[in-house]
Amino acid sequence: MKVLAVAYEEKDIPELIVGTRKFVGDSANIVLLAVHKSASSGDFNINVDKVYLAETSRPEEIVAAIVKLVNEEGVSLIVGEAYKNLRDAFSRVAGQLSMPLITDATEIKLGDDRLVVKRGFLSEKAEMIAEVPLPAAVLFLPRFVKAEGVEGGQPVVTRLEELGGDSKVRLVDVKPKEVGGANLEEAEIIVGVGRGFKSREDLEMAFELAKLLNGQVGCTRPIAADLKWLSEDHWIGISGKRVSPKIYFAIGISGSPQHMSGVQSSKIIVAINKDKSAPIFKQADYGVVADLYQFLPVFIKKLKERLG
Amino acid sequence: MNDIVVLVKASLNPDMVRVGSDGSIDLASIPLKISDIDRNAVEEAVRLKEVLGGKLYAISILTWGPVASRMKDLKLAVQEALAKGVDEAFVVADDSLTPGDQATTASAVKEVLSKEGIKPALILAGEATIDEVTSQVPGRLAALLGYQYLSFVRKLELSGGKIIAERDLEDYIEVVEADLPAVISVTQEINEPRPPTLLQIRRASRKPIKELRAGDLPGIQMPLRKILGIKGIQVTRKQVIIEGSSMEEIADKLIDALIQEGVLKI
Ligand SMILES: Cc1cc2nc3c(=O)[nH]c(=O)nc-3n(C[C@H](O)[C@H](O)[C@H](O)COP(=O)(O)OP(=O)(O)OC[C@H]3O[C@@H](n4cnc5c(N)ncnc54)[C@H](O)[C@@H]3O)c2cc1C
Ligand SMILES: Nc1ncnc2c1ncn2[C@@H]1O[C@H](COP(=O)(O)O)[C@@H](O)[C@H]1O
Repeated sequence: MKVLAVAYEEKDIPELIVGTRKFVGDSANIVLLAVHKSASSGDFNINVDKVYLAETSRPEEIVAAIVKLVNEEGVSLIVGEAYKNLRDAFSRVAGQLSMPLITDATEIKLGDDRLVVKRGFLSEKAEMIAEVPLPAAVLFLPRFVKAEGVEGGQPVVTRLEELGGDSKVRLVDVKPKEVGGANLEEAEIIVGVGRGFKSREDLEMAFELAKLLNGQVGCTRPIAADLKWLSEDHWIGISGKRVSPKIYFAIGISGSPQHMSGVQSSKIIVAINKDKSAPIFKQADYGVVADLYQFLPVFIKKLKERLG
Repeated sequence: MNDIVVLVKASLNPDMVRVGSDGSIDLASIPLKISDIDRNAVEEAVRLKEVLGGKLYAISILTWGPVASRMKDLKLAVQEALAKGVDEAFVVADDSLTPGDQATTASAVKEVLSKEGIKPALILAGEATIDEVTSQVPGRLAALLGYQYLSFVRKLELSGGKIIAERDLEDYIEVVEADLPAVISVTQEINEPRPPTLLQIRRASRKPIKELRAGDLPGIQMPLRKILGIKGIQVTRKQVIIEGSSMEEIADKLIDALIQEGVLKI
């Protein structure tokens, strides 16, 4: 059994390898393909058979590298973590090699010629367990395991050059995305903001509340992706981050399943919304039916008084 | 080769999921609706049809059966696309293809194109569906057809037979230029889909929807995935509405409740 593990970010290599080992067992051979930011260091002290480096983030070139290695190495399982560039690359590889692809997997179990996988379904309102034949490809949900106890090793490292890929798609420009300082996965208190806020400046109230409680500010997709009032590291939901704070304040947020799937494991959810029929109230522990512009200043003032 | 195809999925509606007390979910009772981002794909396709001047087709493959009870929802999804300006639609509905998977869907689309002799310059799809959110079908289809694939496109221009697209990738935006033909998946941010007008809906009822079965599509890939189980995740929240005669009173009560829960220390 040979597995090709594709890493997009260097910091995720331990997690990817530990997780893969956990599910495929010690006897499987793992070949690591490190692309993008994980391919730059070239220094790998990790328990895998071989390492290939491809210093590219372009899906076209990642596809070419994966297909080359699958053919040369005789791989029956390809794994990675569900980053957009890998979603793109894996979907093409799966199409080209006619294999099943399971995205956002949380667990896999290996049989002789099949794979049993677990993943979220219906905006995480359910979990699906499915079986697919091998060879197959799997993209795990980022943070699917805790990377503890990474064993070292001395794999042979080979650099892949001239991947080619799809020459008809010409790169005109690359613009980096703004990165904020949010680290929502670690936050104990998160103040979530949605389209109920009328302007970027008004988010100040949310930041003030978060600071007061030693928490962080998160947001819905439109605030980050559409309006760009906050950088994408604040984005919570099925296509953003999954968080598990002690308190999640959902302020001016309607409660769409795509957003709520990211906050499901919060201990307590507080909703502040002016529409008493907003779906958020059915998914919250405590609800305040009020205009956020009237409630938040008072709430902040009261908290300040009581915190002393 | 000026035609455009837009892919539309009748997805299980996550808003309508009921989880039984034993964690059971009855998929058959969840209605299907047009997947949200496919509305953006349709909107963009209608706009680009004006630029290319060809015909605009919609294709939808039924993923969730049984066909007999799903046909109405499937047709409603496709009719919305027709009302918005799609000229003709093809639906593939066959109990042997349900529950479908993404490999089957992509191959079914390819088979429909070859059976109908459609060679589109552009195939538009959503970045992900609302029921499974895999972002997989368009990339698979591009690979099967040997088309260029531009994923996660949030801005799209067509001029002089070339595509200029802005792709919203993991940690950066990529601006690319590509030739036709291509498969493009669009993000929710690419446009603001307008609901069809009543007049458009009425006119759409006269537009053709052709139904196909597995037997009409000889090269189709039968589903590779076998669903072994679906378990509902029950999250019960207290749903307490805090009331009071003033904002001050409500704020105090909320603070008290959070202290009581042990999640706020004062
Ligand atoms: C495939 C897919 C993936 C998606 N992924 C995500 C994701 O990861 N994360 C995400 O968040 N969304 C995601 N979405 C989008 C999601 O469906 C919703 O559109 C989005 O979450 C809505 O954001 P919102 O609640 O901020 O805005 P809205 O739904 O517009 O809600 C705004 C709320 O504010 C309230 N309000 C307005 N004014 C006030 C006021 N003055 N005071 C108090 N309340 C007020 C309104 O009553 C309303 O309930 C995804 C969608 C799709 C199709
Ligand atoms: N059954 C289907 N019929 C038609 N189009 C589909 C189907 N499934 C997926 N698509 C298209 O592919 C996109 C991405 O879907 P997915 O890969 O399932 O997340 C959707 O937004 C649709 O445009």
